[in-house]
Amino acid sequence: MKKMKKYTIQGRKLFIIPVLIFTLIISSCEDVIDLKPYSSIDENSAFSTASLVQLSVMGMYQAAQRGDYNGNLRGYPWGSAFVQQGDNRGEDVVNIFTFYQLTYTNTYDPTTANNVWWWSDSYRLINRTNIVLKGVQTAADNGIITQAVADQYKGEALLFRAITHFELLIHFARPYKHTADASHQGVPYRETAYTNQTALDEGIAQGRNTVAECYQKVLADLDQAEQYLPTRTDRGAGKPGIVRATKQAAAAFKTRVYLHKYDWANVITEASKFLAGGVYAGSYSLPADPGTTFLNCYTNSESIFSIENSGTNNPGVNAALASQYKRRILVCISPIIWRDPAWLTDDKRRSTTTETTTPTIHMIYNSAGRIYTNKYKDVTNYTDGSPLIRYAEVLLNLSEAYCRTATPAAAPDANALAYLNMVRDRSLATPASQAYTAADFADNVALLGAILKERRIEFVMEGRRWPDIHRLQFCPYYPTNGIPAKLSNGLPAASNFTLGTPYTGALGVTAIPYSDYRFLWPIPRVETDANPTLAAQQNPGW
Amino acid sequence: MSGNIFSAIRQHPNVPVYDPSDPTGYNIDTNPDYVGRWNNLQSIGDNLPNIIYVIDHNVFNSRILRTLGNLYAQIKLLPSLSFKTQLGIDGSKTDGFLYYNAAHGDGKSVNGRVQNNFSNNLRWNLQNIVTFSKAIAGSHNILVTLVQESQFTKNNNFSAVGTDLSNEFFNKNIISGTVGTMSVGGGMSENGFISYAGRLNYNFKGKYYVQGSLRYDGISALPDANKWGLFPGGSLGWTVTKEPFMSGVLDILSDLKIRTSYAQVGNTSIGNYPYLGLYGSAKYSDYNGIAFSQIGNDQLQWETSKKFDVGFDALFFDGKYKFSFDYYINNQDGLILAAPIPNSLGVPGNSIDKNIGQLKNWGYEFSGEAYILRKGDLSWQVDANITFARNEVVSLVNHQDITAVNTIIREGESISSIYGYEYIGVNAANGNPLYQKADGTVIQGNIPNSTYYVYDEANPTTLTTTSSLSSTLDKKVFGPSLPTFFGGINSRVNYKGFDFSVMFRYSGGNYVMNSTRRDLVNMNFVNNGKEILGRWQSVDEPGDGWTPRLWFAGSTFVNLTGHATSRFIEKGDFLKLQTLTFGYTLPADLVRKAGLSSLRIFAQGQDILMLTKYTGIDPEMESGGVDLNGTPRQKVITFGINLGL
Repeated sequence: MKKMKKYTIQGRKLFIIPVLIFTLIISSCEDVIDLKPYSSIDENSAFSTASLVQLSVMGMYQAAQRGDYNGNLRGYPWGSAFVQQGDNRGEDVVNIFTFYQLTYTNTYDPTTANNVWWWSDSYRLINRTNIVLKGVQTAADNGIITQAVADQYKGEALLFRAITHFELLIHFARPYKHTADASHQGVPYRETAYTNQTALDEGIAQGRNTVAECYQKVLADLDQAEQYLPTRTDRGAGKPGIVRATKQAAAAFKTRVYLHKYDWANVITEASKFLAGGVYAGSYSLPADPGTTFLNCYTNSESIFSIENSGTNNPGVNAALASQYKRRILVCISPIIWRDPAWLTDDKRRSTTTETTTPTIHMIYNSAGRIYTNKYKDVTNYTDGSPLIRYAEVLLNLSEAYCRTATPAAAPDANALAYLNMVRDRSLATPASQAYTAADFADNVALLGAILKERRIEFVMEGRRWPDIHRLQFCPYYPTNGIPAKLSNGLPAASNFTLGTPYTGALGVTAIPYSDYRFLWPIPRVETDANPTLAAQQNPGW
Repeated sequence: MSGNIFSAIRQHPNVPVYDPSDPTGYNIDTNPDYVGRWNNLQSIGDNLPNIIYVIDHNVFNSRILRTLGNLYAQIKLLPSLSFKTQLGIDGSKTDGFLYYNAAHGDGKSVNGRVQNNFSNNLRWNLQNIVTFSKAIAGSHNILVTLVQESQFTKNNNFSAVGTDLSNEFFNKNIISGTVGTMSVGGGMSENGFISYAGRLNYNFKGKYYVQGSLRYDGISALPDANKWGLFPGGSLGWTVTKEPFMSGVLDILSDLKIRTSYAQVGNTSIGNYPYLGLYGSAKYSDYNGIAFSQIGNDQLQWETSKKFDVGFDALFFDGKYKFSFDYYINNQDGLILAAPIPNSLGVPGNSIDKNIGQLKNWGYEFSGEAYILRKGDLSWQVDANITFARNEVVSLVNHQDITAVNTIIREGESISSIYGYEYIGVNAANGNPLYQKADGTVIQGNIPNSTYYVYDEANPTTLTTTSSLSSTLDKKVFGPSLPTFFGGINSRVNYKGFDFSVMFRYSGGNYVMNSTRRDLVNMNFVNNGKEILGRWQSVDEPGDGWTPRLWFAGSTFVNLTGHATSRFIEKGDFLKLQTLTFGYTLPADLVRKAGLSSLRIFAQGQDILMLTKYTGIDPEMESGGVDLNGTPRQKVITFGINLGL
């Protein structure tokens, strides 16, 4: 018995020792706490192969297409917000529900979501451009990609950096002409990649650059971008030439920036590149039907730069242009511009449909007697491109620049008239009889009025109205005098859209004078709470 | 737009749910796609669908299969030394399905949507425990425990989404070839920790207790330099009634234990990889892309809680009455929060995880139990408890406030206190809302032009000096969103086989921003709550003095929908009758004849009664101090049988 007992105890001990060793080995395996993520790449490897570099460039475009909005991705800044905010700050649309009400009725404050995310997502994109600029140069230095390829990527980053800062200026800073030397507050022009605490500390110390500095940097970035970028032909026929940055896009944006700067000579220099004899001659042409540009948004001859949207990746049901402007009809065209007599009643841009689903070439959508835009057509998958800039704008910028360089009291400038007509004639039902001639205008000032009106008709619901209101504050002949009065927020009666007479009805949203603090969007509260430098530089009155 | 409560409080009361003349059988307008306007001249506001159609036709469910397992081996190596190894497994698989009908509701915009989700979560926990227990010289009792523990958690998930359905027939699962647009998603992440701990318990004759412990923990979520943390703890206890000098009072005070403890604990729930700088997926249209998705912080270290507690437990009259008291204080150091970074730097999420703050929680807990009656077959027992709890943010990085829409994290205040504008009523002369700025000036919000003007009580209709409500200067802290006192009262009566018990629960001291109430005075073309009947209508009918005048589509200005205001901030105090139970246990000998060991039948009601001044459905419906369209709790009445076999 004793022998058995001894054996049993020893047997149990023998059994337990390997189990003990086994579990001790398993559980002390330090791999359990040395874990790296599967869904994300370590920042030190992000630019380590050519394929990863390319992915980072696409990631930069993503920030342009869809920015964060309270945890969801919407269309800030270049996926759709630039259109929706640019339209709703102006008087050529009517906001019907609460969606853009704060923007439309000028009742925003430093916590208003639209303004906060515009600011936030613009800088989110800008940080990605700076990360790409730094990353691709490191990759080129390490021989992972050639300098030529790196330069092309840099061109794309510089273009986005420039236009995004520029659009920030239009909402958060006074126009260029506000002071004689544009020495008034602009926005912080950020040229550093913020990826670690040291960079953050420097960034917080940087205050707002002056408007003059910002314009200078915007133009420098666009000049450099134009040098680095491939041409539209290099990009290839069709879609790639429109949804990726090109030399032509950089030049086209320069016409816009110089126009805001009142630098007519440079508008002409840049825009002339697109005309016969220029570097980019023949790159673009205006289709005979203005609706073609929107029906074939990725394969037309007029679009210079648009953001691409796909069925599985677009600003979504709460932001995509086709969703907001057509399917949900949250914003309609204002009777103010719809009934303006300068917009002829048989103009092709008034071509109307009541078709709700299938995309058609029509430009206008009529629902229950109210007038909405039909420029954005894919109401199921939201694949319409977001139009940042197209050839018609380059031509109208050029026309305006010629008009303003000419003597105001003299007979209408031939060039100005010609380029205005290039854009307008293709939309007229009978250009032979309806086209403008020199005889229609007493002088260049009258012609200027027609050019400015044509911009409103051509670019209705493309987000261009606010930038024009902003820069025209200081126009000597047609100053916009603050934020214009608009129809009340809400659904206008169908009778308001009857053509024949100009709109003279009630304007429930009162005009805001230029001197009013509400002319500018406030720097968001979340920014000033965390950034003492900018807190001290808040737009006055907020 | 499928939100049930959002819709329920807005649907027009004068339109029917069903419409036999509509192909769907429901009252629906097609253009635009909202609930039908019926005889109203305009469509309902806020883009609302016919919510009954949505509830009847859309599907959103999930099934969870959870497996819990435990395996252990134990051996006594010596009479006083034993070793145990144990493995615990917790696995769950979640199978989710979503279907949005294409004809109406959220599915209309994408012509129908089907979505299958699958998620797999696995956690294993392995512990090796050595226990040494010995009584020396009959009065020194020693217990030493050494533990080595490791835990690993892994989650992986994927989803398949299809939109643009070919036909609503295919609405039970995603079916190949029936959807126009497809997309997939997924992810995977892991988390683990290793721990070495030792504890020594010593007591002398069950009278004096000393305990000390030490933990050495390492977690995967911290950078290499700071992975490991050392956390000590200890406690002391004294059973006073075992002392000789207490023998005189033992018939009154039958047991008294005084105790105190201190422990440091590290917080392991800080996310999976909060310290790494990462690039995540970022597709542009259909092109693959990556982008900076998280800023790294290689200085991130352990967030520790230092808890101190002192208290006593007393029994009176041979256990007839019981009383306990505790005072606790918990200092959280190196609180890991997402520290805000100025948005203009463009950092992902505009935040960086940092050890930025210190939080202090302290309180007093009292509890008592009494056998009020103990006579033969009748007994009645009552127990009650109350806790007074306070919370304070001791420090934040750069002393910077962290503001949210309705709450604020500020040094010196309770965390996430309710934060908003001071509303003081309605201008009886014109129906404008009145607010008080931080400097005491009263301003009125002039509804027709959405502008603020200084309010002059002597000339209330004068609108000359413009003013503003500054979101940086004019907001104030109204109170904590966390209760400052709470507790319960329990009463149990037993008579022969019958039992009757009542449980009350109460809580208070916190404030709730009643956003649902604000939605109920919405000025779009939607239904409202009865509060709107008290609106200002004219100088002769000024209403309740609290609800301003109506202005179509004017909610953003009139009700200040982007902020909390004291117009809708209410106290969250309540007293609830939580459960009421009647039961009868059949006599044991009767039951045994049927082959059972026990049988009790009972009826129980939950959430029966509530006493509160809160005007919403339930002050506990808040989340983070805000009540917004929460789904109310249900009153539950249960009838049942407890069977012992």
